[in-house]
Amino acid sequence: MAYTGTVLRVNLTTGKAEKENLNEQWAKDYLGGKGLAIKYLYEELEPGMDPWSEDNKLILMTGPLTGTLAPNTGKLAVASKSPATGTILDCSIGGHFAPELKYAGYDAVIIEGKARKPVYLFIEDDRVEMRSAEGLWGKGAHETEHILSETLGDVITMAIGQAGENLIPMACISSELYRQAGRGGIGAVLGSKNLKAISVRGTGGFTVPDIRKVAAALNKIKRDDTMTDDNMWAYSDGTPVIVEMSNSTGILPTHNFQEGTFEDFEKVDSEAVKGALKAKKACFGCPLACGNYVETGKTRVEGPEYETLALCSSNCGIGDLEAVIEFNRLCDDYCLDTISAGNAVAFAMELTEKGFHDFGIRFGDVEKYLEMPGAIAGRAGIGADLSKGVAAMADKYGGNDFAMHVKKLEIPGYEPRGTWGMSLAYGTADRGACHMRAWTPPVEAFEGGEMDPYTVEGKAEVVKDMQDDNAVKFSAIFCDFWALSTERMAEVLTMFLDREVTAEELTVIGERVYNLSRLFNEREGFTRKDDYLPKRIYNDKMTKGKARDISIPLEDYDRMLSEYYNLRGWDENGLITAEKKKELSL
Amino acid sequence: MKALFFHAEKCVGCKLCHLACSAQNEQVFNPRLARLKVNSRYKRDGLEVKGQTCDLCMRCVEDCPVDAIVENNGRLKFKEDVCTDCGLCVDICPPQVIVKKERGIGVCVQCRSCSNWCPTEALTFEEVNK
Repeated sequence: MAYTGTVLRVNLTTGKAEKENLNEQWAKDYLGGKGLAIKYLYEELEPGMDPWSEDNKLILMTGPLTGTLAPNTGKLAVASKSPATGTILDCSIGGHFAPELKYAGYDAVIIEGKARKPVYLFIEDDRVEMRSAEGLWGKGAHETEHILSETLGDVITMAIGQAGENLIPMACISSELYRQAGRGGIGAVLGSKNLKAISVRGTGGFTVPDIRKVAAALNKIKRDDTMTDDNMWAYSDGTPVIVEMSNSTGILPTHNFQEGTFEDFEKVDSEAVKGALKAKKACFGCPLACGNYVETGKTRVEGPEYETLALCSSNCGIGDLEAVIEFNRLCDDYCLDTISAGNAVAFAMELTEKGFHDFGIRFGDVEKYLEMPGAIAGRAGIGADLSKGVAAMADKYGGNDFAMHVKKLEIPGYEPRGTWGMSLAYGTADRGACHMRAWTPPVEAFEGGEMDPYTVEGKAEVVKDMQDDNAVKFSAIFCDFWALSTERMAEVLTMFLDREVTAEELTVIGERVYNLSRLFNEREGFTRKDDYLPKRIYNDKMTKGKARDISIPLEDYDRMLSEYYNLRGWDENGLITAEKKKELSL
Repeated sequence: MKALFFHAEKCVGCKLCHLACSAQNEQVFNPRLARLKVNSRYKRDGLEVKGQTCDLCMRCVEDCPVDAIVENNGRLKFKEDVCTDCGLCVDICPPQVIVKKERGIGVCVQCRSCSNWCPTEALTFEEVNK
């Protein structure tokens, strides 16, 4: 069976762990992963609830294909109400946790309440235990994982480091050291519940009718559709390949988004990363193996990924790969989201250089830069300010126009003035500025992109379609690095669900999921006014690179946003119309 | 005679080999039932990649007290009807790749599902003692 049909509900306040049946209707309407997790949260969280309170919940959600031979389906959705943004928050974490949870017999774990003292959760098939984590509290995620592996044997662990314990709103969750549920303070939710880690061992399995035939069909799909030239960049390079692409098109965030090209980009591009490469590494069931395990004389990490290279290298003016690798490792260990951390450091650098406030750190200052992860995670020195994120820093010290965030979530590694579709993608992403809801550079900025990157024409439709595609992809749980068609998704799902799944049905599910996440945010008071980027994007022109002398006129952005709402069936204020809700059965 | 070889430097740790083996031989998705052991894990001193595969050493054939495992044209064959579930083969298998099941055991039968699925040619069939 594709679903185990069982959800594990753990209440940390009462110490009770109970099994319940998966809501089958919701599984049909939302598939799994992102969509199904958001549905549970939408139904179970009181509107206006404080995300830091013990009323918040954290959901680990697998998908119908988790643990099967369907390629690139090994990821896990981790969802909650974001303490950083107040929006819905779903993250996608790779590694091997999701299949292990499914083999233990669960589609999902819903974590509620707050433990009185630090605990970790140990799940071994039917056995579920909340064990004392007092000996682990204060340790990094890496040491925590090592200790739990030594204590429990062959388990897969998700853990938080000091940043999560200290309730830093940019705290992430780490698994297998270098895989993260990164954004929106998802790690701080664990910290707020006194939950240090979750370790799982699943020894069971499951089957489907004609499993050998299904396996043979999937192996053919893997060969003919997954391991193709369109996708094998992941193996040959991994995400660092994007550094050169972004730099040459003027969209590599540099010096806190003042520019879109970085003079030292060759020191941190894919070739440079390959120079330190020791091994390729994959998530469960993935033939693309995007992970780059690198070692230098002094440090090692699985990474750095493009987002880290963009935000923690060029954006901070750090053209020193070894320093970036070490920064990356520290962030993974303390559990800091490198996108938000890189932004906070770069913002502090610009505030210092522009005279708003002297943080004592400037672009390119490697020594100070390497002190930042520890300072942020421990709220030490300037880390106390940086830990709150760029929106809070701007509230205190000014610089609002160049505090690079949307809905208080820091902007990822694509400078929107050189790829205008990304401005709308950031503005309307459900969890604040995010590049994983719609990613437009390939169709407008990068080589082969057929659209003019410097216009809003046609971008509303592109962004809407990408958001819906990704919403269903992250609900079925396919990794975004397999560029598969909706038809292919339907074909694979049909092998595992006891019904014929069609591409049309999946398109509707994608739209339903995206609208539900919007509805969650609408319920929290988010409207059109929250769908804007910092003024730098509208007013300031970059001076170098392909996108020099360009900004996005605010009236153009407004027009694109209205067109987008119209396509979505939302009103001028960005609220979902009654007709649209009815159409999508929301 | 050909046997399965593991090349650690090529392995990416995706576990498709485990899953392919369990689907083919046990008709279930369960990596723990695979008749090989491949592990790619981060340890304190870095990445550790380890693989254990059946190299046709024939210890199980030689030591089985009731001849429930036999070799036929370079392949192992398990005879469930004569197996007494003593578990000796599981214990003595040098690479520890014989799977204990509810009834009987599972040995690598060279079906090649694992190597067919491996995306990086980290598993190959090669002549033994070449």
